[in-house]
Amino acid sequence: MSSIHSHIRPNTFLFLRLPSDILKLLEILPNTIIEVGKLGSFPSNLLLGRPYYHTYEIRAKRDGEAYSRLRIVPPGELNADIVAEDATPSESRGEPATPSVNGQSQAYDVVSEDGTVVVKNNRLTIDDASRQALSQQEIEELKKSSGGNEVIEKILANHAGLDEKTSFSKAKYTLRKTKKYLKRFTVLPMDLGNVIEYVMAKEAPRIMELREETSGLMMAWGNVHAVVEDEVPPTNDGRRVGAGRWLVHDETGGLLVAAMAERMGILYVDVEEEEAQQASEEVKATEAPEAGLLQPTDGALENAPPYGTSAPTSHNDFPLPASTNTITLLHPAVQPNLSLMKYFGYDTNQPNPVHPMHTHLKPLSWLQLLHPDLDATYREPEKVSDAELRTYKSGKRSTHYKKLRRWSRCKAIVDETREGGFDGLVIAANMDPATILPHTIPLIRGGGTVVVYSSTPEPLIRILDLYSKDRRTAYISHLSRGEIPDSEDFPVDPRLLLAPTVQSTRARAWQVLPGRTHPVMTSRGGAEGYVLSARRVMPVEGGVEARGNYGGRGKRKADALVGGVSDAGADAAA
Amino acid sequence: MVSTFLSPGTVTKEHDLASLHLRRDQSLPVILSTRADDAEHEGYAEGVVTNTRFGAPWGSQIRASKVDTGSRGRNSQKPKKRKAETLENQENEDGTFTKDAVVASSGFVHVVPPTPENWTTSLPHRTQVVYTPDYSYILHRIRARPGSRLIEAGSGSGSFTHAAARAVFDGYPQEAPTENDESLRQDSESTGKVFSFEYHAERHRKVQDEMAEHGLETIVRATHRDVYQAGFLLEDEISHEKTSPQANAIFLDLPAPWEALPHLTRGTLEGRPSALDPQSAVHICTFSPCIEQVQRTVTALRSYDWLDIEMVEVQHQRIDIRRDYSGLQYEGLRGVNLFAADVDQAVSKLREVERRAKDFHAGKLDRDKTAKGANQSADTNSKLPFDGGKLIHRTEPELKTHTSYLVFAVLPREWTEEDEAAEQAKWSKHVKIASSGPKSQRQLKKEAKQRVKGVNGVKDEPKVTSEEAAVAINDAPAE
Repeated sequence: MSSIHSHIRPNTFLFLRLPSDILKLLEILPNTIIEVGKLGSFPSNLLLGRPYYHTYEIRAKRDGEAYSRLRIVPPGELNADIVAEDATPSESRGEPATPSVNGQSQAYDVVSEDGTVVVKNNRLTIDDASRQALSQQEIEELKKSSGGNEVIEKILANHAGLDEKTSFSKAKYTLRKTKKYLKRFTVLPMDLGNVIEYVMAKEAPRIMELREETSGLMMAWGNVHAVVEDEVPPTNDGRRVGAGRWLVHDETGGLLVAAMAERMGILYVDVEEEEAQQASEEVKATEAPEAGLLQPTDGALENAPPYGTSAPTSHNDFPLPASTNTITLLHPAVQPNLSLMKYFGYDTNQPNPVHPMHTHLKPLSWLQLLHPDLDATYREPEKVSDAELRTYKSGKRSTHYKKLRRWSRCKAIVDETREGGFDGLVIAANMDPATILPHTIPLIRGGGTVVVYSSTPEPLIRILDLYSKDRRTAYISHLSRGEIPDSEDFPVDPRLLLAPTVQSTRARAWQVLPGRTHPVMTSRGGAEGYVLSARRVMPVEGGVEARGNYGGRGKRKADALVGGVSDAGADAAA
Repeated sequence: MVSTFLSPGTVTKEHDLASLHLRRDQSLPVILSTRADDAEHEGYAEGVVTNTRFGAPWGSQIRASKVDTGSRGRNSQKPKKRKAETLENQENEDGTFTKDAVVASSGFVHVVPPTPENWTTSLPHRTQVVYTPDYSYILHRIRARPGSRLIEAGSGSGSFTHAAARAVFDGYPQEAPTENDESLRQDSESTGKVFSFEYHAERHRKVQDEMAEHGLETIVRATHRDVYQAGFLLEDEISHEKTSPQANAIFLDLPAPWEALPHLTRGTLEGRPSALDPQSAVHICTFSPCIEQVQRTVTALRSYDWLDIEMVEVQHQRIDIRRDYSGLQYEGLRGVNLFAADVDQAVSKLREVERRAKDFHAGKLDRDKTAKGANQSADTNSKLPFDGGKLIHRTEPELKTHTSYLVFAVLPREWTEEDEAAEQAKWSKHVKIASSGPKSQRQLKKEAKQRVKGVNGVKDEPKVTSEEAAVAINDAPAE
């Protein structure tokens, strides 16, 4: 299996984790020089074709070479310090690395007044810059003349108080100096986890502070997964239902769309397919330079299957969308904001026709969903007769065909979306989700999943209140009396969601080192991030009452059945 | 066979697994059927709903129907079991005689397609269950995507197995899984697979049965094995030939993960191939409840050259959202807090008490009593308003404060001197690469024009950003 991240490919985005633990984003182009701040620079070709997740070290320049070479640091070397520490069974604050004096371990060289030895501690530590014998100037010169490892060794050797330090503080000191002087970085692939970490550190509001664990939780409750069927199975009344179509409202700059696309297997370009496409493009380019002007006729457009996965056209600027395994994106502006998707090779302004998102992403604006007749793109372009078309100049003619292609794509997307039958609804919005739901919930199939993310709890609290049991009861009693419920009291039909739940999750990181295991001292505050999950259901007509002897106020609808079930369960167990 | 987990179809069909939603956190997995085969469905402790008619759209609310329990013979000991009737009146497919269900006056249930989430809340517990907040994060972190090859040990109650199967699913393999797995890998396009190992014979059998019942048997390959001893290689049933699962994601829910790690290395062990995918990095997660287990696991991971070792715990809470009815005006109603809502209310109550005391001493008691009684009866008749009170939220009373510690690590691809030499030869000089990204309209037009004009060498010639980029580094002697 040639996976996308098996090695570093040219013209892709990737991350370098610098010694300071900061992620650096870069696009790796062949034949260029990569500058990594104070670590130095190296030719990109030294990284291309190499594996991800390894740590690379920029080596000292050799005589006669213009650029430094890279070295893969073996994992054993990276873990060496801790493994060596681990090897000694004692996890006390002893100093296994230092040789013992007179058969007595140096660890016990601090003797208290009554003559008993105590474990070394930081009682006598002196915090003073003068304890480092090397001056800043000397260190700078050392850095120029020798590699990182030697610099660190010399610095440690010239620290007067190093022996007074406890092993832990010595380890900390060494680590700090290592981070400062070792010219190392780790290469990480462009995937969802790394993007979240990167954006979170730089501009968290751009992704609504959506953490990895929250995104994972949303994908699980949204039941987002790949669907392999090519066709939407027709129902009796000819409507399209299900088949891996998700409706999304994303205000996280494309992060949510990327997370879903990853789960659906449409986030990454199929490597083999891309290479094949490149080859065929070359052939096309040499054989038919005028291919760009060949157009399908009007008739061909009309006869083309409206939801075919691949339309037989040489143009792929406005392809007809795929029919299954798709993301339908509702966007509040004229164009969708999917700026993060460009790191995954899909730029909405300049879409890559090889990318699966080109056909599997169906964007439409709220105007197109609610008032398509007001939208210019949805309006059918004026019909032009063949005779008239022939009089057009080639530029005008190609503009005409482009308009037609854009219109047919837009029409296909809008009509399909308005028909509904989606497998699920996933929302991450700054706008009030309570105004999104009345328009979108009816478009979800029965049994479909609904997931709403909000960085603060308030919008979700309001939604839960709109779907509360008491409100639903009141709504049903309105219906059973034949009244139309007031849209102010009932902005949504409270019967359409089953068991809405609001939850929140947070992963707390720990440090695990021999004898020093504890939760990390600081982490990110800010928005906690809440997820609402529910199932879309189809209510029966008229009023429904729960059953059971749970009379009186406050009975829960489901209690009736639960009583029945627990009895049955007891029987089965008996 | 397709699975209702992954491809539920548009309507419910016979033999489909469905989830009957009773209340939150309580759903009933059932195989829809016209007959009651209780013996086969022991796994579903709650029993089976029979005589369901098919063809209801998923998500339908279904009314309960009256059941003549007396004449049902052996089922008569379950008097509370109800038939469910769908909205549509369809004929039974096989034409067997089923009594017309009569709609009961009350009671209902929702029938929804099963998902790993509702399966997790309703599954028969065999071991500690990996719940949704944990498994959703784990699957994200170990990069389980469509096409991934995932090792799970042990299978346990199967909640992670279902979620993992959904995550790696990229198509139903064409061949039966009993065939040699290696050939399957070559022939079919789908590569996503879960290799689930369990050393407890009974639990293994249950997981295997469940997978077959849920239509996931082509995606999940369950093996009965003690992985500490025998490792993770797949064994052909006939030839006993050992093949590698070529895993790139691993989840170890074992008491001693460090004992399984020697079988998860890059090198060949005693002539047997590595269980890992040689072409990609491998992500691992271990799931241990105790900190001591974590320490030993991390030590072992370090010595087996795993990198980016990180330990986290997932803290999850559900939010209870309700209306809080505090205030003296709700006196006499159930589920209210009888505290004064504000100072004014408290003062007016105190004044009322003061006035009554005064009246009492003045001997005007009778009139007061009647007034109070009338007031109260009016209150009890009214219901709490659905938009009254105060909307509040708080953590739900039952809180799982600790499930397990999750240790994550990654094992990069092995990189040999030969690999490096090959890549160096490929990339050492100035390289021509056709840009894989899309070209702008302007660029395309320009190129087309130049091609027509017959300008040579313009196509795909990358701009040389700097002459130095083309350092002939491969000429320098290798170490």
